[in-house]
Amino acid sequence: MSLARTARICPKHAHTDDARSWLVPALCSAATLWLSPAWADGIVVDRVYDPYVQPLEKEIEWRSVALNDENSDALDDRQLHRLGVGRSFSDRWFGEVYLVAGNHEDKNLSVEGAELEAKWQITEQGEYAADWGMLFELEREREDKQWEAAATLLSAREWGRWTGTANFAVIYEWRDDLVNEWETQLRLQARYRLSPAFEPMVELYAGQNTLGIGPVARGAFKFERARQLLWEVGVILGVTDESPDQTLRLSLEYEFY
Amino acid sequence: MTSHWHKKWYKTVIVILLGWMAVAAGRPEVTLEIRDHLFMPSELTVPANTKVKLIVYNRDPTPEEFESYELNREKVIMGGQRAIIFIGPLAPGEYPFFGEFNPKTAQGKIIAQ
Repeated sequence: MSLARTARICPKHAHTDDARSWLVPALCSAATLWLSPAWADGIVVDRVYDPYVQPLEKEIEWRSVALNDENSDALDDRQLHRLGVGRSFSDRWFGEVYLVAGNHEDKNLSVEGAELEAKWQITEQGEYAADWGMLFELEREREDKQWEAAATLLSAREWGRWTGTANFAVIYEWRDDLVNEWETQLRLQARYRLSPAFEPMVELYAGQNTLGIGPVARGAFKFERARQLLWEVGVILGVTDESPDQTLRLSLEYEFY
Repeated sequence: MTSHWHKKWYKTVIVILLGWMAVAAGRPEVTLEIRDHLFMPSELTVPANTKVKLIVYNRDPTPEEFESYELNREKVIMGGQRAIIFIGPLAPGEYPFFGEFNPKTAQGKIIAQ
């Protein structure tokens, strides 16, 4: 682990001279090594998945992130949108297909690719100390002709009105004219169940060039016949120079049976 | 050496699994039925501060969703089938639940004491 690379993730602490100066760079180096074996240009902030599946459930979903970073032209004003349609196939499996659009280089919004997703609920909610699931994703980027496959371990646990959720993803990217690479991502969420209409949360995203944390809120509008509109909105603030300064994330999910 | 290590490892896993199963087997069980879009009984008393296994039988031909924000649980139960819902440990108190497909009739509460 080079000092230069350490400085990229924790530049404010890498060269301090006080007695504890070794500790922060050491921890940052360990975190960097563990969280990002490869450096890529992906957008890490997205959403935190719970490990649950409901039979018969169908949904239409729109998710969006917008980045702001004064120090990076590649990240500044970058947007990524996902429009998805999904349904459960049993009480354990849920599948969804997405159209992915963004404004990567020329800043005009265009379709960048498509994504398939399958969620597997492994344990019953509340049966063990934590609930477990897996998420499998396959994404094809149209312009770069790049493939991305990911397997994500999903876990959730309750502490009274608090719910903690963790996602740990292992990602493999490949294309013909580029070195294939492995990546890892960690996404954490702490949610307080205040009321169905409004739940405050804190989310943390780590992986690739991003380490960010920020406030998020979500809520649900309920309709007849178990239909509901779920919304989430939040801002993830970068805590390293490499991270986007701010990432605004929005999602709307219409669930029905 | 490797064989000895494997034996110890297997024994450890078996002990953990048996312990886990013993804990699961010791959980109190309560049963709930859905019939004519009603929960029967509509009130269930469970021990407080204990994880409880709730078995819900849906006797109707249509699906129903057991939902409770207070219990942090939602579970769709297909017509003519059953579902297992683990709840708690609950602090003493009342926890309402309802059937989201028939919320006007399918209502009940769990009393933890």
